Amino acid sequence: MTTTARTDPATATMLSLIGSLADNKSALGRRYGEWAVSAPTIESAVAAAAMAQDELGHARSTYPVLAKLGVTREEDALESGHPLRVIEHELPDWPSFIAANLIVDGILTTFVASARESSIEPLAQRARKILQEEGAHRRHAEAWARRLAQAGGADRELLLRRIAEMWADAARWPGPPDDPGYRDAVAKGMVSEGPAAVRDRVRKWLTELLDAQGVEVRLQEPANWSGWDEEHRR
Amino acid sequence: MSRADETVWEVFARKEYEEPLHHVGTVTEEDEDLAVVCARAIYDEQPWIEMILVPRPAIRQAIHA
Repeated sequence: MTTTARTDPATATMLSLIGSLADNKSALGRRYGEWAVSAPTIESAVAAAAMAQDELGHARSTYPVLAKLGVTREEDALESGHPLRVIEHELPDWPSFIAANLIVDGILTTFVASARESSIEPLAQRARKILQEEGAHRRHAEAWARRLAQAGGADRELLLRRIAEMWADAARWPGPPDDPGYRDAVAKGMVSEGPAAVRDRVRKWLTELLDAQGVEVRLQEPANWSGWDEEHRR
Repeated sequence: MSRADETVWEVFARKEYEEPLHHVGTVTEEDEDLAVVCARAIYDEQPWIEMILVPRPAIRQAIHA
């Protein structure tokens, strides 16, 4: 449960984004950690453990930003929270792990990059630290995407299916393209770009990455915003 | 997943600029980026200031007793 003071639309949007960022990083850390004993290679198992540690650390350092903005969260968010549904439960296979690494981590990190010069200074500080560590996550995701795409057959098909599933859920996370609170947040320098731009960056990166392997992927702009939960961003 | 064809990378690191790079271990990965990510994750027990990877096939033996 979250307690917030009445606030303007831009700050309300940022509170939602920051709280949800922390919830999703916490869940992503748990999902990565579950593969630390069962990744296809011992090297990637250790990398999964390291990435889990990073994500849990990012969550722990992001929650206090809410407190600095006057929000009190009553629950132990590392055990609860409201993450994206695609990472609420254990990832069923390694291509799911890689799809989460690409899409969920990709969307969250692209948002964090847009907050690097945020007028909310505690957020900007954390963003710079998080981005230092996320470079390794991106390299891991890219390398495994190339490997699974090159493997062809069932491996490639499953990766593409998992990417489509992750995108359908995670692409909604930044929110509708015309969200007035997000627009105000950009105008106030809280973030440098809006939800459509965040999706565009991830779409362009991933499309080019897979295109280089001869694989076509279509990552559509979310069209249906009915049932959109603005607080939990899903 | 067979790993017989994958590259073994020798990993070297140092903690101070004044000390030479020394061998800390190996990683087995075909992909260069994955090798770098995995080496950083596996050999993170020290606050290294530099870590490099050398593909084992690039090493030339000068003496072998």
